[in-house]
Amino acid sequence: MRPVDRRLLAGIAVVLGIALIAVAIVYWAEPAKSLPSFFPGHTAGSNHHHTKHGIAAFLVGLACFAFAWFNTGPKKTRSASA
Amino acid sequence: MPISYFHAAVLGLLQGVSELFPVSSLGHTVILPKLFGWDIHQSAPYFLTFLVALHLATALVLLGFFWQDWVRIVKGLGRSLRDREIGPEDADAKLGWLLVVGTIPAGLLGITLQDKLRTLFASPQYAAIFLALNGLLLYGAELLRRRAPVTADDDDVRIARTVSWRDTTLVGAAQALALIPGFSRSGASMGGGLLVGLSHKDAARFAFLLATPIIFAAALLKLPDLAGSQGNGVRGPALVGALCSALTAYLAVRFLMKYFETRTLLPFAIYCGVAGTAAAVYFAVS
Repeated sequence: MRPVDRRLLAGIAVVLGIALIAVAIVYWAEPAKSLPSFFPGHTAGSNHHHTKHGIAAFLVGLACFAFAWFNTGPKKTRSASA
Repeated sequence: MPISYFHAAVLGLLQGVSELFPVSSLGHTVILPKLFGWDIHQSAPYFLTFLVALHLATALVLLGFFWQDWVRIVKGLGRSLRDREIGPEDADAKLGWLLVVGTIPAGLLGITLQDKLRTLFASPQYAAIFLALNGLLLYGAELLRRRAPVTADDDDVRIARTVSWRDTTLVGAAQALALIPGFSRSGASMGGGLLVGLSHKDAARFAFLLATPIIFAAALLKLPDLAGSQGNGVRGPALVGALCSALTAYLAVRFLMKYFETRTLLPFAIYCGVAGTAAAVYFAVS
């Protein structure tokens, strides 16, 4: 993969990771009735907190950061490491 | 008491075996009480809380059985994060990331679909039909499986070389089938492993490693229910059930890791097909 593509993908992953962690915080902080209507788990009149949805969003956000971490690391070649 | 100690022990013994054998623990837990005429309300919160204890016991046994592997895998993950790459010869790191990537679709599908699917298909009749279909799934996996190339002597190296990122995503997602009572988590992931070119032994090993974080996380998330008011009256039976579950889970994983060195999924496919069909017919006529 070209270095520009790697940097672009890493940038997208970082933005996505931040967005997902923000989504996780919303899930933890707000009851189901107060979630934006396009969020999975939004239920009118429900005071239930979707903790598991928050954990899932948080972990996928971390996975995005991990992806970005690997893609921005120094590119090592087999010959260089041998 | 909502669940007697006898029922708890039987369900625990059953859970430990059926969670790891590719025959659907949830399906059996739904079908057998109905067959025996036990007065257990399976959709009641106390029963779900009771099941959490059994799952936690199974997950702890899996974690203990593969403890040394998990230590190596976690060290590999740490090494790859430090080096910012997965070394071409670092099978532990590759296996660790395969498990992380495979767990994501299973976890996401589980969280979003679990309640809906269990509400829709929680009846013993549905579970019996899906158990028969689980038999077909296992048989299909045997029919379509690729010949496993012998690429290395070490189990983890073979898995790391054979399974691609796309493969682990598909195998992980296949685990979500187990949200439907009657379909087996280990059956779906072992079948997926065979389809991507793993041997029976490696497919079983990969399935058990992949199942551990999911079962563990699901049980841990529900554990506060056992300590809260939903656990009132079931903590004693839950402890007995968990101990029984741990015993049979240990025996099951030991047996299966030996069994799959030379044998196939066919006996389990036949069992699921026959038992599921027989139970479905019994429920239809009774």
